[in-house]
Order: sequence, then C-alpha cells, then structure tokens
Amino acid sequence: MALEWASAAEAPRFVELITGYVSDIKSMGPLGTAEGESEKDVIRMHLKAGIKAASGRKVRTALGKLAKDMNKSNDYSPQVISAGVAKKVLPAFRKERLTQEIQLCLAEQGPCENADLCEKTGGGNKEIEKILETLSKKKLVKKKGSSWY
Amino acid sequence: MPIVDLYNERLSISRAPHIDYVQAIPSSYYIDPKACLRINYETCNLCAQTCTAQAIDFNQKPRKLNLDIGAVVLAPGFGRIDQSVLEKYGYGRFLNVVTSMEFERLTCASGPTEGHIVRLSDKKPLKKIAFLQCVGSRDETCGNGYCSTVCCMYAIKEASVAKEHNPDLDIALFFMDVRTQGKGFDASRERAEDKYGLRVIRARIPRVDQVDGQLALTWTTDDGKSHSELFDMVVLSEGLNAPEDAKAIAEIAGIELNHYGFCKTSVDSPLVASRNGIYVAGAFQGPKDIPESVTQASGVAAMASELLSEVRNTRTVTVSYPEEDKALASEKPRIGIFVCHCGSNIAGVVDVNAVRDYAGTLPGVVFCKDTLYSCSQDALKDIANKIKENRLNRVVIAACSPRTHEPLFQETLKSIGLNPALIEMANIRDQCSWVHSQEPKAATEKAKDVVRMAVAKAGLLEPLEQTTVDVSPTALVIGGGAAGMTAALSIADQGFECVLVERSDQLGGNLRRLVWTMDGEKASKVLDDLIKRVDGHPRIQVMLQAQVEAVSGYVGNFTSSIVKAGQTVVVDHGVIILATGGQEYSPKSYQYGKNNRVVTQLELEANLAKGKGILKNVKNVVMIQCVGSRGEDMSHCSRLCCTQAIKNALKLKEIKPNLRIYCLYRDMRTYGFSEDLFREARKKGVIFIRYEPDRRPQVIEQDRKIKVRVFDRLLKDEIDISACLVVLSVGIAPGGNEALAKIIKTPLTPEGFFLEAHVKLQPVELASEGIYLCGLAHGPKCLDESIAQAKAAAAKAAIPLAKGKAAVAPIISRVDRDACIGCGICESLCPFNAIRLFKVNKRRKAETITASCKGCGICASHCPTLAISMGGFTDEAIMAQIHAFAGEKCA
Amino acid sequence: MTAEVFNPHILGFFCHWCCYAAADAAGVSRYQYPPNVRVIRVMCTGRIDVRFILEAFGCGADGVFTGG
Repeated sequence: MALEWASAAEAPRFVELITGYVSDIKSMGPLGTAEGESEKDVIRMHLKAGIKAASGRKVRTALGKLAKDMNKSNDYSPQVISAGVAKKVLPAFRKERLTQEIQLCLAEQGPCENADLCEKTGGGNKEIEKILETLSKKKLVKKKGSSWY
Repeated sequence: MPIVDLYNERLSISRAPHIDYVQAIPSSYYIDPKACLRINYETCNLCAQTCTAQAIDFNQKPRKLNLDIGAVVLAPGFGRIDQSVLEKYGYGRFLNVVTSMEFERLTCASGPTEGHIVRLSDKKPLKKIAFLQCVGSRDETCGNGYCSTVCCMYAIKEASVAKEHNPDLDIALFFMDVRTQGKGFDASRERAEDKYGLRVIRARIPRVDQVDGQLALTWTTDDGKSHSELFDMVVLSEGLNAPEDAKAIAEIAGIELNHYGFCKTSVDSPLVASRNGIYVAGAFQGPKDIPESVTQASGVAAMASELLSEVRNTRTVTVSYPEEDKALASEKPRIGIFVCHCGSNIAGVVDVNAVRDYAGTLPGVVFCKDTLYSCSQDALKDIANKIKENRLNRVVIAACSPRTHEPLFQETLKSIGLNPALIEMANIRDQCSWVHSQEPKAATEKAKDVVRMAVAKAGLLEPLEQTTVDVSPTALVIGGGAAGMTAALSIADQGFECVLVERSDQLGGNLRRLVWTMDGEKASKVLDDLIKRVDGHPRIQVMLQAQVEAVSGYVGNFTSSIVKAGQTVVVDHGVIILATGGQEYSPKSYQYGKNNRVVTQLELEANLAKGKGILKNVKNVVMIQCVGSRGEDMSHCSRLCCTQAIKNALKLKEIKPNLRIYCLYRDMRTYGFSEDLFREARKKGVIFIRYEPDRRPQVIEQDRKIKVRVFDRLLKDEIDISACLVVLSVGIAPGGNEALAKIIKTPLTPEGFFLEAHVKLQPVELASEGIYLCGLAHGPKCLDESIAQAKAAAAKAAIPLAKGKAAVAPIISRVDRDACIGCGICESLCPFNAIRLFKVNKRRKAETITASCKGCGICASHCPTLAISMGGFTDEAIMAQIHAFAGEKCA
Repeated sequence: MTAEVFNPHILGFFCHWCCYAAADAAGVSRYQYPPNVRVIRVMCTGRIDVRFILEAFGCGADGVFTGG
C-alpha cells in the first residue's frame, strides 16, 4: 500500500514513484508470502471481515470524526494521522472486525470454541468473550456447551 | 529529410513534417514548407501517400481573408537578443557558452539530451556552471537600456532544475541586482539558494575566455577584490527584446512604439495602444513574467468586451441537440466498445484486434469494433451510426485519455440523443502503449484488463442530469481604490450592474496619497477621472462607509450583507471582486515618528505637493530602501518602492539640482522600463550605496542632528552620512485581510495577501469559483499593474454574468436523505463548502449545493451511513472496477 | 517461491487532476515503466474509501497505489 503525490506536471516523478513501487512489491512477493502459505486464508478472512467492518457505521463515524478534527486543527502530519488512527479508529475497527470475523468463522466452519476463535481471528481471549456476549445478547450467536455456533 | 529543430533551439534535428513539442495545441503535425521536398521540388510525396488518415493535402494554398472585427489585440510576445550581443560573451566561438533558452531545452526531459546536462563540446557531463545575468538587458551599448524583468528568476529556476538533476553541480550566478520582485519570488529564491547551495555573486562579467577547454571568468566585487575562476559551461541569461517584426506590426496597426521598440502605453491605460480599439497584452507591452502576461491577456479581453458589449451574442452559433432517449438509457445495458488504433500509436504496441475480440466476450457487450482514429470526424460519425444501428445505451471507447478526449465523445453521444454520462474511456494509449512500448505482450494484457474494468463500470453508468443555475447579473466589488474603481467601471461598461463597497468615506484608496505616477503625470488626474466616471455611471451603485459582513452562496448566486451606518443592506450578486487594497507599512524604527525629519516616500510626495517648504535648508537627503520589507518585518519585497524612490529622487533633483541624495539599498529593483529612471538618477549624481540585510543602516539622532550610519563595502568600515532629511521606502503591508478572508472562506498567503487559484495561470481567480482578485489585495504592485489586473478580474467576473446561466458538472455528490443521519461530517470536511445541513421535521439532513460541488468525493468516502453517492463515480461502479481488476481471482 | 518471476497485480487509484494527469504526461513524453498497474480514475484521492482498498486486497491485489 502506498500513497504518493505527483502533480500534473510531474511525469518524471510519477514514473520514478511507480517504478519504485512495483519493484518494492516484487521484492515483497505476493500478499501473504511473508506470513506463509497457510496464513493466506486467514488474511483473506481478516480482509473479508475488515470490509464489512469498514462499511459499518461505528468505524466510519470514528474515521469521519478523526478527519473532522484534523481538518479543524489543520494538522495533517503523518505523526498526527498515525496517533489519531491508533487512538480513535483502530479500537473501533478491531472490535468490529472481530465481531464480523467471529460470525464469518461460525458460518463457514461451524461451531467453534473460544480458543479456536481466538486463534483464527487473532483476538485476545477477553475481547473475544466480550464480543461473543454482545453477539449472543443480540441473538446472533448461540452457545452449546463450550462451543459457539 | 532532417532539418534543425527550432523548438529545441537547434540542439537536435527534426523532419519536415513535425510537431513542435508534444503538448503543442493543436496537437497535429505540420509541414515546414522551407524543407519539404514535395513543395520545393515536386518530389517525395511520401507523407501524403503513407498517411492512413489521408490528412495531407498539398493542394492547399494560402488565402486572404477579410474579417469584420470590432477590436484588435496585439500579443506577438518578445523577440530574441541579437546574436552580435551574445558573441561579446564568446557565444558561437566557444561551444560551451549557451543561452538560457538553450539551457532550458537541455534541462527538459523531452529535450535534445533527455534532461541530461552535458557540455555541448564533447557531450560529457560537467561540474561547474556560471550564469551571466543582464545579457542584452540594462546595457546601453546594445541599445537595450531597460531591464528584462524575468531573467533573475528564470536563472534561479534553471539553476535549481539543474541541481535537481545533478546535486553535485557547482553553480554560480552573477547578478548586478537580484530582481526577484514577483509575488512569492523572493521566498522561492531564498529556498533555492538554501536548498541547492547556489552561489550568488554580485558582479557583472565583461567577457568570457577559453583556457584549456574551460571557460575563464574574471570579475571584481564591490569590496574592490578581483576574482577569476574556471567553469565548464557559461549560461547567458538573455533578455527579452522587442518582437522582431514590431515595426511592421506598428505600421499595419497604426500604433506607436516606445524608444525600445515595444508597444507604447501609459500608466493609466496600460493595455491600450495609441489607436482606439487596439489593445496590447504580454511582453510586447514590456518585458514581463507569465502571471503579468496572463493577467494582461484577461485585461484586454475586458477592454474588447467593453467596446463590443452592445453586440454581444449577435454572431454566436448555437448547437442544438436532439431530445434525450430516456427509454433507451433505462433499458438493460447494451454496451458497445470501440477500440482505437490511433494510427500506430496504440496498434504499434498493443494487439488491437485481440483486445477487440476479447472485449466482445465481456458481459453486456453487444457490439465491438476497432477504429483507425476514433477522434477523426469520419470515425465519430461512424461511432454515432453504430450506436444508433445497434441501439447501444452504454459506450466504451478504448483509446487515449478521458482528460483530453472524453468531452469529444460525450458530444457525439449528445448529438444522437444519448446522455453524455453514458460513456467510459479505457486509456490504452497514454497509460499503456506509450509507456510499455518495449513489452507488447504485457501491454496487450494490460489493455484487456483496462477494457474489462471500463466495461464493468460502463454497465453501471447512469444518465446524469446536466443542471444549470441562473446567475444574478450583478457584481459586488469590495474596495474603492484604483483597482476597485477600474474593475467596477469595466464590469459596468461591459453591461452589468455593479455594487462598489468602500469602507472609508471617499473613493480613491491609496491613489489619493500618490502625487505623481511613475511616468511623471499627476496622480490626481487619474484619480479624478476614475471618480468622475464611477459617480456618473448609471450601472454602478457606490456604497461609502460600508463593510461586507457576511457572504453566502456560490458562483452566480451570492447573497451578501453589507453594513452601512448601522443598517444592514442585503445584496444579491453573481460574482465578487476583491480589491481591498493594502496599506503603507508603518516603521517601528529608524527614528520614524520621533523625529519629523524622518518621513516616508508618500509623506515626502505629499509635502512636495504643498510646496518646497520641506526642502528649506536641506542639503543632504538619505533614502533607505526595504524598510520593513524583505525580511525586516515583512518577508516580502514590496516591488514598487525602488522605482518610487528613484522617481522622488529625480523630483528632488529637479526642484533643487544641488541636493546631495544618497540611496541605501539592497537590490535596486527598477525592473522593466523604470531602469531608464535609475540610469538617469545615477547620471544626475544620486549616490547609491548597497547594504547587506545583516547590516541594515541606522538612523542616529545626536545634538538635534540626524546622521545615517551605513557599512561601506569598499572602505570596509561604517560611515556616517549627515542627513537633513531621511526618506524611508517603507513598502506595502497587507490591508488587514483576515476578517474578509474568513467571511468568504479563502486562504491568505503567509504574508497576509489573498491567495490566487494558480500563481501563473489563474492570477486573478480565487480557488472558490466566482470570486476574483486585483490590486494590492493580491500583493504589492505599481499603479499600471493594478489597473491591468483590475481589468483582468473584471473580464473573468463578466464570464458568468454574460453567460447568464452557470452549468454544473454532473459528477457531483447526491445525498440519500433517508440514509443521512445528519452527523455533519461531510459538511465539515467539504473543501468547497458545497454541503450544508438543514432541518427536515426537526432532523438534520445534509444537502449538496450543486453549483459549488466539484465532485471530489471526500463526503462520500467519509459518510458513516454510505448515504452519499458520486455522479459517475458511485461505490458500485468503483467496486465493479475493483472486481473486474481482479478478474477470476475475486470470488 | 519457485523460480518463476513474480509479476505483481497492482491496483492504482489516481486523482484525475494530479496523478492521472502526470501518468498521461509520462505517456506523452514516452517514459517507460513496468506494466503492472491497472488504474481506476477518481476525481480526487479523497474519494477513496477504506473499503475500496480492503476490497482490492481481498480480491487478490498484491499492492494498492493511491496517487494524488
């Protein structure tokens, strides 16, 4: 993922950037290579849940508010952006993503136990428990023994 | 047959049929008749035979046309400095002495050396470059006594570009004065000197010698020291001459030239030649940079429009379109795709037939065809026919860039009753065949992918309504100084109503304080004439002691609240011109305000206008330049103070020839023809002493006498000059623009002047549409420049007024009211203030202000409930493109 | 990885006014660059939604290049 700026008059700069980017990606290998073949499905699952999370109102409101704040303070430095995203957007995003991913896991792979879900989603035990609780309150998941479905 | 490439300054070769440079408009080839074998010897004819579009017709002959016209604009540009002048610096004898024009080509990526700066003698890389300024400028020996105005800045630019290419270069620039007086120029020069370590040397190089293949320069600096150094290349910063055919133009047009062969104009009408109805813009009026040229170009358009306002719209041709076939558009997408060969531009790399056949297999595509040149008249007709025959309701053109050609194909759609939004272009030339010419296979694959993505998007395109809004045919001009009055008069003379708001109790602004113009005329004459015409104009309403308190709306439909004597008046208007002026900087040092023998230039003028009293018992006058300017208190150069000081010095000399006048300066910036005044002042004995910014002069009061202490660079010591009168050139401060900037939501420069939309190409427009800028509110400038700029602002402002309706690009955002939760994120993020919140049944809802929206989509990408969609760039369309990008990979 | 050369599949989001224009200009000047990028033109990089980027990766993009 890269974000670069080249004005309309900057063809040479554009060529430099795009050539550099392609060679960077080439050296990194296909998505998921660094994590290993078996992890590819996991990444795909993360992304699928991530898209759903990013479509939800909670995450989008957090993002919108952050943009609004930055607009107000007129400070768009990378540090401010990273700090803002880490503080205001990522927690909401993580929670939403895990929520979506738990549902995806259960739908695609059938009943799972807490530990399974933690492993598959990469979430911590406590946060997964909390999300499952919320989900079961909404009657989106049910528990049978130690398994969720 | 090879010929020299004149565009590349004879540094490369070209062919008889050629295109000067890739961005040339029109971008079609032409044949150099001097070099063409067919024209000269009736042989060859190869081009006509091979042109697949059959676009070459040797039967064409020159024709004489008689045109009925109401106004003439002269814009022939500038001429080149004589070869004989360049030869004085070894040009022609030494290959590595080049002109700045040649150097410009050398630094250009599409130039003869592809941007590599090499020695012309052996094409080898080089280490050291010297720029010699004032070649053919400020030089009476060649008849050019004037300053060419632009060379200091372009030399800095060329040196910076060179350093960017090759950071190891050692570049020295030889200046007499560094004349970077344009808006923001000093700041960028300082940045360049800092960033690139350019060596700035103050000396004029008399000659260039060659020693062992290197170029030797010898010079003396103002501390009396001699220096010499060897360089690999010498760049002659050649000045701007009058156009070569200036005399012929003057004869044909029946106008006068000035003593340098440029068009003669006056300070109060800088755009008018000496014959009615003939106007002049650009370098023919005097050497000038791009922003001033562009400004003058708009200015003359206003002049012509004033002259011809009565016959506006009498000879216009209107195009009519058939009614839109809405039923066809709403049918299931029937996509037709046309794949362009663009001669061999695309087909020479990409397998066009393969792309066409592939396109035929894509879902929704019912028709596909390849075309030789899609944009040719024949092909457009054919495309229109094929669309009708096959009842196509979505069209994909796989050819060049939508940036350049989409409007053309949209026209074709409109001409047969299809909504212009139903077209999508696949860029398989500019971003495919041209940039992957060595990889035909990969380029063909890319072309297929790009076509697939375009087809996916095309299937989701929806007709977009082309909306227009009515324009209130009135202009609001804020500020009643020279610029504001000139703008108001021009708007009114062009036939539109105008409200002129002035915060003080009389018109005139700073012009009221000026006594003489730069050409020695009485300023009051200009002022009285302007006021008389404004007061007598039936279409101008003047509001004195009035201030703009609020502005809402958008181009064509602004509503402003103006407070006058405690009462608020609401004015509806279509455009705004900002002419709020500037103010004389008030110095905090130099004993100003403490001693009445220390005055500003304007105060001196005012005093002289009253009589010679101020000069009683005065023997010595010291003028101090850059008081407050150029880093003292304000960072900018105030542009006009140097000429103003010289003008006043000459006036003093005229009144009292024995007066000793000292002028302490940093760079004398008497650009353009004002250089004549500078020379005259030196001839009349005005003494000029240069100071460095870290050693500014001091005004010292001792025993009720004043002396000015300054560091003399030749004596290497401080000297005290006793002064009976000290005149401070105090420069121009912004006129407190913050409040107004907030009201109209527009940015200011760091110096506090209004910021134009584009420094060079849109010098009188603000980023917000419908708001224009002129005079000192834009930055310091002379009276003639203010007047030209005011005309330019009036020309731009008259465009929406004359159209009467403002078209709105249909790619704007639309808010789904049901989905909107009224959070206001979109409203606060919109860079164009194009979304507002309003209440529906006590709930807040967002709404797009169609005329203000630019279609950037920030609102859509930040909407928490996905309630905003973008015309032509919907979420669905972009998602479809992403999926098509992935092809089978995407589940 | 096998010896086969990895040819990444990259999606570009280019701003109509800036990067897209620069890419066109690169073509006009006949610069050459690797043919791995497929471009979606947007009127401003501000149009780019987080979902688009995630979707692109989800669909198998090896990289996403947003050019303003």
